[in-house]
Amino acid sequence: MELLITALIIAAVLFGIGLYGVLSQTNLVMIMMGIELMLGAAMVNLVAFWRYLHPEAFSIQMFVLVAMTVMALEGAVGFAIATQRFRTSGSVEMEESAELKG
Amino acid sequence: MTPFLSGFMITLLFVGGVYFVAVLERCSMTGNVSWSGPARSFLLLFAQEEIKTRKHDKVFFETAPILFIGVILLTISILPFGRGSVIIDLGTGALFINAALVYVMVSLLMAGWAVNGVYAMIGGWRALAQLIAYSMPVVMVLTATVMRAESMFLTDIVESQQSLWNILYQPVGFILFYISALAITFLPPFDLPVAEGELAGGVWADLTGARKLLFRLGRLALVLTLSVAVVVLYLGGWMGPWLPGFVWTFLKTLLVAASFFAVGHFIPRIRHDHLLEYNWKYGVPLALYNIFQVGVVLLL
Amino acid sequence: MISIQLILLIIFGLAAIWFGWRVFMTSSMVRSALSLLGSMVAIGILFLVMEAEFLGVLQIMMMGTEMSIMAIFMMMYMMDPGGLGNMDMSHQKKISIAAGVVVTVLIVGVALFADWGTIVTQVPTPHEQNRMLGMEILKRSMMIFETAGVTILTGMIASIAVALSIKKQR
Repeated sequence: MELLITALIIAAVLFGIGLYGVLSQTNLVMIMMGIELMLGAAMVNLVAFWRYLHPEAFSIQMFVLVAMTVMALEGAVGFAIATQRFRTSGSVEMEESAELKG
Repeated sequence: MTPFLSGFMITLLFVGGVYFVAVLERCSMTGNVSWSGPARSFLLLFAQEEIKTRKHDKVFFETAPILFIGVILLTISILPFGRGSVIIDLGTGALFINAALVYVMVSLLMAGWAVNGVYAMIGGWRALAQLIAYSMPVVMVLTATVMRAESMFLTDIVESQQSLWNILYQPVGFILFYISALAITFLPPFDLPVAEGELAGGVWADLTGARKLLFRLGRLALVLTLSVAVVVLYLGGWMGPWLPGFVWTFLKTLLVAASFFAVGHFIPRIRHDHLLEYNWKYGVPLALYNIFQVGVVLLL
Repeated sequence: MISIQLILLIIFGLAAIWFGWRVFMTSSMVRSALSLLGSMVAIGILFLVMEAEFLGVLQIMMMGTEMSIMAIFMMMYMMDPGGLGNMDMSHQKKISIAAGVVVTVLIVGVALFADWGTIVTQVPTPHEQNRMLGMEILKRSMMIFETAGVTILTGMIASIAVALSIKKQR
């Protein structure tokens, strides 16, 4: 039992750090880093549930694979947006993208 | 033979192999065989003064060489040298080779960044582009060998080549893995990260003393490790008549290492854009074709 | 019962948290990206500790590439303020810290007070796991996995379309 709870607490702290990063950073790439940390925390949770509760259910491992795909895609699309943003406005600081304010 | 004795023999042969690779490297650069040359340059680097560049990044400066040689030792520890003589037989060995090789790239990036020099940094970014490009076909052709063995244990992959070696079973995969191994060890003609002529030493330009020694030793061990990987995956590993298994592994390995240096001796350095273009336009589709072909042959 | 697994979990969990914290606390972009790499590798080792060998090795492999790419993109777009001294790149600090702490406390509370049922001690061997995962992917979850593949294709096309230069080329 303490094994599962330890893993879950580690994941919770990682998620909290990631959330702090997403909310506090002004730079697009740093915000993406925060999202990666949050996804990593979610994967730790999934693997912990697989290992300690349902080792026979391999759909959980499958779900971790899908989460990794999401991480890679998030990287690719995020960098594409950063590239276009840098081309058009010369920086990827999110404070400067005031046109998004309605 | 007892496990202890064979382990001792393998260590001895590996150290000897690294020395032989060092002799080969000098021979491919200067053209004459000098048996004492590597020992002399070892002593030279060992005693050399350690010059630190101004405003270097302290953490990466110290950890990059250690990471470089550490991942190579990890890779060696999962490769089988003979029947039963493997340090750790991982259930995901074939994937682990690629996972460890990715960190060669990370350590080159760290070293190139840390010394705070222009040539080193350009070398580091070049290493990033080159090694990302060439680890793609590596993981795809590894998939094809795993498909034939129906297991990711490297010992099972060797056993699956009992009837026909993989070099004949999937020649496209062998050619791709061979070229990618050359690119991952950044030997000539793929030595763009450490190009002597155009970058004055690239990543290693500003390193001296023990750090450079670790990098050079690590590169020699990397050449030998990837030769062992070629032998294990495509040339039937320890299989061969009369001699004990690990002797066959080492004979084949030294042959493959010699062929690496022979290729580098005769082919000029590739341009950086050509290097990436050939890989992404021809290497990756060929690797996918290789998976398809092996799958069709397996089903027939 | 203090087992070796628990000790390893705590060690690598603390490593993951420390590296994750360093990501937002350093002013050099390359250091920040490589700290994230350290955190991800620690997570991969946590998978290995929890005996999910394939996932652990896959995580370590994929993150090595991804975080190096992240390092070069950060260099490209941020001119590395490492040389410019301590540049502050954060806003709404108080709200962020509060949100992080509150969410962490909430999740830890759920983890501590939920009824998790019985803990399983035996798991299949790595080789068996690889086989079962393959069977899962190719039998029951095949549609989901193919959807992931199509999603990757969509992502590739979308990112190329977004990143293309608008300038006319002749």
